[in-house]
Amino acid sequence: MSESLKAKMDAILTATGARGCVECGKCVAACPMVEMYPDFRWEMSPRGIIRRALTDDDLLQDPAIWCCTGCNAGTDVCPEGVSCRDLIQGLRRLAVETGRDDQIRPCAICGTPFVPRPVEAFVQARLGHPAGDYLATCAVCRQHRYARHNAGAPSLRPDQQQEQRKHDAG
Amino acid sequence: MLDRANGVETMITMEELRPRTGKRKLPRRPPVMLFDPARCTGCGECVTACANRHSLEDGPAVAAIRVLTAEKDGRNFAIYCQHCRDPLCMAVCPTRAIAKGEDGIVRIERRLCTDCGLCALACPEAAPLKDPETGRVEKCDLCNGDPACVKQCPEKALKLTRGKAFGWIRLLRWPVQALAFFLLVMVFVGTFCYFRAGAVNLACPTGFLQNLASSRTLWLTGLGSAAILMVLTLLLGRVFCGWICPFGFLLDLVGKVTPTFGLPRFLKNRMIKYGVLAGAVGASAGLGFQPFCTVCPIGSLCRSYGPNGLLAGVQMAIFPAVAALEVGQRRSWCRYFCPVGAVLALAARMGLIKIVIGARQCKKFSCMQCADICPTGIIDREALREGISPKIPMAECLMCLRCVDQCPYGGAKIRFRWQKTAPGEEALPAAPPPPAGQAARP
Repeated sequence: MSESLKAKMDAILTATGARGCVECGKCVAACPMVEMYPDFRWEMSPRGIIRRALTDDDLLQDPAIWCCTGCNAGTDVCPEGVSCRDLIQGLRRLAVETGRDDQIRPCAICGTPFVPRPVEAFVQARLGHPAGDYLATCAVCRQHRYARHNAGAPSLRPDQQQEQRKHDAG
Repeated sequence: MLDRANGVETMITMEELRPRTGKRKLPRRPPVMLFDPARCTGCGECVTACANRHSLEDGPAVAAIRVLTAEKDGRNFAIYCQHCRDPLCMAVCPTRAIAKGEDGIVRIERRLCTDCGLCALACPEAAPLKDPETGRVEKCDLCNGDPACVKQCPEKALKLTRGKAFGWIRLLRWPVQALAFFLLVMVFVGTFCYFRAGAVNLACPTGFLQNLASSRTLWLTGLGSAAILMVLTLLLGRVFCGWICPFGFLLDLVGKVTPTFGLPRFLKNRMIKYGVLAGAVGASAGLGFQPFCTVCPIGSLCRSYGPNGLLAGVQMAIFPAVAALEVGQRRSWCRYFCPVGAVLALAARMGLIKIVIGARQCKKFSCMQCADICPTGIIDREALREGISPKIPMAECLMCLRCVDQCPYGGAKIRFRWQKTAPGEEALPAAPPPPAGQAARP
């Protein structure tokens, strides 16, 4: 691991308070991943991720950091105030910087990465039906696309719209 | 939590903690918020009202409704939870915090919610809104049946309703079907295949085609009488199949009492009926008589009754056997096999009218009652899930008007084929190929 990466890792660990982790396991008890993945293990649990981040193994290459949904449950219950969500987000950012971006799904419209593939796989499996196109779009694009399909006639007449535009511009 | 080494299962599963409630009976007409984009001015009063619906002590001021304004044309649209009949968010919530109440309102149980946002991922409209800053997920709970946004909307673009279906088309169709059955099977014994009452000639177009092929003679009376049904179909679609056909009526009755188990895949091809038609006509041309007409379920049903019982023993078994296909799918005969329907489908393809589903009022993915009741299953659920108006293939539509009759919001309509309807599908940009080293989940 390069020096700059190490420095960034240190910054993340400090900012999220991960060094304060006492391994009580409350975050694991609250973590929804237990329900989501049948092969839930220590390596992908919040406690495991924190420990592995501290012990500096090659965590960034491990797909386990992409299983988290980014919820707030672990942070809410942590007695030491460790923000495991921010930690995971920081780790993922570092992982993308080191070139490992194959585990996150970019939105089909705007291209913003928005959902890790394991989470997407879980959603698809739960929905059961051959999940449609919409699962490939991020929330904002999805809302706009739905609105375009369903908004009827424009609420302003064309001349009113022009006035509005002039008004906005001027 | 789990003593795997000793093989002792001590883990408490989610199923034990919070068992899924089975399919509960939903209220027949749950409260629903309708949005009229033509009225919305995008003022955002609804968002303000929604954010202030609780006092601040109960939680941060976050709205569960979002107003989008298209930059291109200034159209406004409000995104809010539609309280689906079969909520997708409920299925994916890992902590099972989402439940549909007995009043039909889908609520997030705050105590259990972890704000993971999977509900927003599963929702076709992304209606559970995840605040990008706080990460909190907020979803409409209809203010327990008295939404603040509806009260605040100055343009009355939001409306709370329980929906109201027509309901009377059904009361019209069943008597018409019964009367047609009575007339064609019991009164004019000898069937509609070559039915003549006074000056009116009505003939089965498929029978006419077979007759033409077998006798190599064009009977003008035959042509005229076959044309009656074809013209009717051109004008009104396959109303014969949905409203008049005696065998169709029998199938509808059988379908009322039998469960459906599905059909094997190789039978589920709507082109089969055209093949049956071609086979029937070709066989008549080769054999010099009309072999299909002797086994036609519609014809044998019509000939089964009355003093001139025209059927031999084996023929009597045919139409009950075909009616038994109803345990596969509703109207399986009409969907896949009926050559009479095939001829009419050719006409209906060019017909004057069309059924439109997904008008402005349509609730799309959240309702889908039309897809449930359509006897031929031609309403595309996938399109509805995408929020697109499904295209109804008029060649397959029986014009039974169940969808028009039962839609609580007036989203299914009859239109002339040239009338403009809801905006069409807009394709997504081609998905980028999955990256090469896509490893399986650890």
